[in-house]
Amino acid sequence: MIENLPRRRSVAKGRRRQRVFTWVRLRRLVQVLSLLLFLYLLLATKRGGVTYLPHDLFFRLDPLAALTPMIAGRQWVAPLALGLSIPILALLLGRFWCGWLCPLGTLIDWTRLRRRPRRDERDLPPAWRGLKHAVLLTILLAALLGNLTLLFLDPVTLVFRSATVAVLPPLAALVGRIDEALYRIGPLQGTAEQLDSIARRGLPLDQPVVWQAAIALAAMILSVFALNAVRTRFWCRYVCPLGAGLGLVSKIAWLRQSVDATACSSCALCAGACPTGAISERRGFVADPAECTLCMNCLQACHRGAISFHGHLTPAPWESYDPSRRAALGAIGALAVGAGLIAVAPRVLSDATGPIRPPGAGGDDFLDRCIRCGECMKVCPTRGLQPSLSFSDIGGFLTPALVPRTGYCDFSCNACGYACPTGALPPLSLDKKQRAVLGTAHIDQSRCRPWSQNVDCMVCQEMCPLTDKAILLEGGGKGVGKRAKRPRVVTDRCIGCGTCEYHCPVQGKAAIRVRRLGRGNGV
Amino acid sequence: MQRISRREWLRRIGLPFLGAFGAVVVACRSRVSPVAPEPTPSTGAPAATSTPPPAAATATSAATTAASPSPAAAGPAYLAVARGSSPTANVEAALRAIGGIERFVQPGNDVIVKPNICVAYHTPEYAATTNPEVVAALVRLCLGAGARRVRVMDQPFGGTAEEAYNRSGIAGAVQSAGGEMEIMAGMKFASVAIPGGQDITEWPVYRDALDADVLINVPIAKTHDLAVLTLGMKNLMGLIEDRGGLHPNLAQRLADLTTLFRPALTVVDATRILVANGPSGGNLEDVRQTQTVIASHDIVAADAYAATLFGLTAADIPATRAGAAMGLGTLDLAVIRIEEISTG
Repeated sequence: MIENLPRRRSVAKGRRRQRVFTWVRLRRLVQVLSLLLFLYLLLATKRGGVTYLPHDLFFRLDPLAALTPMIAGRQWVAPLALGLSIPILALLLGRFWCGWLCPLGTLIDWTRLRRRPRRDERDLPPAWRGLKHAVLLTILLAALLGNLTLLFLDPVTLVFRSATVAVLPPLAALVGRIDEALYRIGPLQGTAEQLDSIARRGLPLDQPVVWQAAIALAAMILSVFALNAVRTRFWCRYVCPLGAGLGLVSKIAWLRQSVDATACSSCALCAGACPTGAISERRGFVADPAECTLCMNCLQACHRGAISFHGHLTPAPWESYDPSRRAALGAIGALAVGAGLIAVAPRVLSDATGPIRPPGAGGDDFLDRCIRCGECMKVCPTRGLQPSLSFSDIGGFLTPALVPRTGYCDFSCNACGYACPTGALPPLSLDKKQRAVLGTAHIDQSRCRPWSQNVDCMVCQEMCPLTDKAILLEGGGKGVGKRAKRPRVVTDRCIGCGTCEYHCPVQGKAAIRVRRLGRGNGV
Repeated sequence: MQRISRREWLRRIGLPFLGAFGAVVVACRSRVSPVAPEPTPSTGAPAATSTPPPAAATATSAATTAASPSPAAAGPAYLAVARGSSPTANVEAALRAIGGIERFVQPGNDVIVKPNICVAYHTPEYAATTNPEVVAALVRLCLGAGARRVRVMDQPFGGTAEEAYNRSGIAGAVQSAGGEMEIMAGMKFASVAIPGGQDITEWPVYRDALDADVLINVPIAKTHDLAVLTLGMKNLMGLIEDRGGLHPNLAQRLADLTTLFRPALTVVDATRILVANGPSGGNLEDVRQTQTVIASHDIVAADAYAATLFGLTAADIPATRAGAAMGLGTLDLAVIRIEEISTG
């Protein structure tokens, strides 16, 4: 049983306040540690990096990210079974994940502008809280049908992906610029070199920033933070599918907030301190355990010691916004429409060839298992893997796609398969990976300089990493009327790594481009 | 405190400043002028950047080299070729024959060694990257001559620098020899004028390669479809940005770049050579064990000699021809003093 400790006035005046243990302080400490661990794993997740805990620990813990790919992919992935631990613990401790561990929750706590709600602030219509249940239901039903598109709303994938695509590359570009400026000042060259070598350990220096993706993903996570201004922890109250799921489990959680009615003066300080608006006067200031994140703010806010957290064995009452049969049926209906639209979209835009997938990603299996977490994009040494924002790939929204003009698939690298937490990308030995076909290169003769301008150029042939080069230089002659040697792709040999497209010296769109194979990218 | 007049103040400040300015001007001139032999200092060792004009070598007997202040036949060779099973012994013998590392590296120098680490795909047996023992031997020699710092670097076009440094075996060998592997950071590239350039007069290059006291060029001899062979001059491409843009008129542009970098010493690693499917290779059948190291201050002559290992002559290599035409060195192996050494 958790009760507020007796309030002690700070005895010594002024200088130093007595450090008092409070549950809120402990919670904040745990939040900081959890976020630090998350950041450590984020930065250490790079090619050749070593992490002293599983690099994908948070994806294994997050039940939504861990369990849905097992449902959609109809496969058992042993490491992801860790995802069961948080719902089981929620039976004891309610939504403690949200208040104590979730990296997004912590960031949301830190980005709110007002510490307390306005005095006249009212709760938004309670029915809005049902939105998150709808999102959760849709995700679960779609997973049953083998689709994981909406998993981009999972809080852990949201933070990891945003950091990988929208935060670290621009930060690296900024550090690069500062470095460059320092380096130009003679006496600071040593400093610039040191800064460069330190930054290089965690940041993708000297790599391109794909602003299209960076801005899209930054807008997504910034809007999550901005919604804090409407109501604190707006995301957690109304949108988060993981919070919804843990909330439903928490209805029967053992540890819950309760109010001693005899001590309560109905001052509503607790309701004002609650970041998720879980406390309502209507229920006599008892928090709805499905909405309570166990942040312990109310415990500290109550001046009369009326609030305590202790064990309960009976389920909490069902609220008006909790999912009803009607809501569930509505979600199923919406899902049917959505699934239909996703199935139609690629046909509508059938002229597009679709994204080039990372090595070993076989067509449907891949989409069944990809949770859009961004781990593969994080480890890709060339940053060739980018989140798909293509309309022809709506079902694969934010899944990894190789963009060769940004970065090629490095012949000596097989990191993405080992980084993937769900097995959407299989771990391939280097030998196997070097034979995995991603697509085929095609020469655009109207742009290629030997073909269109009779100028010597053989960069694509030189860059081809295959021992038996998939690009041959043919023809050519000497003397008057000499013809430049022209490149030709040997389609059977080409693995579509895109090294040629990346290095093609033609400005803008390359003269040699990789197209995805018709279907699947088998090994 | 003693008051001084304005004129006195200007004189005190101005003289050292003028002196420093003059020194900078002289230093710059010696770097960019293509064939401007500096007067040999009386202390003995000639400045590393000075290249003897090939004409001098042609005029005198093959036994005489212009680089040597004394005309004695015992003077250092113009070019040395060492053959033997130990790459380290080959490097040491070849360097001894051309006058010792001290001819190129002075105590306190900042040295950059530029091997060919073009891809991260293969281990050294595949002869796509310079032999690690050759690189390490050079690092040890430079440090032995009192170099303050020896950095080794290249920009791979396939794979990351870190991975390429490791897979090529060069990172391990260099670090145990006491050198540093440097990742070529984007901040250090800047567009630089190439005063001696015929086709290109400006290009973004790695500034440290120009600022270092000594640049040692350590290519591996390989085939290459456009350049025919990739040797010393082609190896300098690792020091620039926008390499793709160099390919039209590659030979002349390589010669133009060579006027800018002027490596003090070129050591061609022909321990193993790649006779087909270069530059990245990947097939052991294309590799020949030639167990040879070629060293010279003359990048053109070193490349010309290396071509003979492939049954070609310097005239077959467009870049080497272009380099000779610009007076960067000599193609004519008959007129220079070549010392061939067997190290067993």
